[in-house]
Amino acid sequence: MKLVQATKTGIVFRLGQREKHSLVQILKLYPCMPPAHHRLSKSGRLPDAEENQQLLNEALAEQRADNKKQVQTLLADSRRFAITETGTRLSLTRADAEWLLQVLNDIRVGSWVNLGSPEDKPAELTPANARHFLAMEMAGYFQTQLLESLEGGT
Amino acid sequence: MAATATPQIEPGIVQTTEDKPESGLEPGYLVICWNDPVNFMDYVTHVFQAVFRWPRKKAEFHMLQVHEQGRSVLTRESMEKAEHYVHQLQKYTLHATMERDA
Repeated sequence: MKLVQATKTGIVFRLGQREKHSLVQILKLYPCMPPAHHRLSKSGRLPDAEENQQLLNEALAEQRADNKKQVQTLLADSRRFAITETGTRLSLTRADAEWLLQVLNDIRVGSWVNLGSPEDKPAELTPANARHFLAMEMAGYFQTQLLESLEGGT
Repeated sequence: MAATATPQIEPGIVQTTEDKPESGLEPGYLVICWNDPVNFMDYVTHVFQAVFRWPRKKAEFHMLQVHEQGRSVLTRESMEKAEHYVHQLQKYTLHATMERDA
């Protein structure tokens, strides 16, 4: 995934065929975070704590549903995901890129949670944990490229 | 992971030892970001800049506080605003909560 152009309004990447395939497969995993994972408070000492927690869960669930639709729209959008002779040209607005960063981090952190929230990388890859580890690493790769382009192009 | 430490005074947050009024004013709520071993440091800095519109230096200060001390108090707000910020930070999958200011 190589940065072709970063302006104040948009970012363009070039992806090889394998990279594009990997990105599509990774994005199809969204959402990875378990529902109701986030807590509004650690102490729970908030007024109407249960009600507010419920509202937060609903807001995040709605957000995830919207994001999932948006992922499907992105993958089907031939203007933003344009096939060229050398691969794929991914064109994003800055708002798109910021949103994609959130989506990729959900996949990354969600995969980590599904791995059992380890402090370090798994000592051994098994059929059970390999897919989560791979998703975490791949999402991290695309996330880093995106972050560098957002930081560098301002 | 770094251990949780006593919160320190950060730039941009005014701390006071004055007694709070018994009524009339809404109590303050602290928006706290907690350390985890998964989020990239650059990503956390970026999120703080995006959510709070902070300059990079201030965002890095708080990111490092999270990384080294286990948590950082990001801001003190009304309940409604604190909820808004926690929601924004959680949309980015950061480990953020709000706690009533003692």
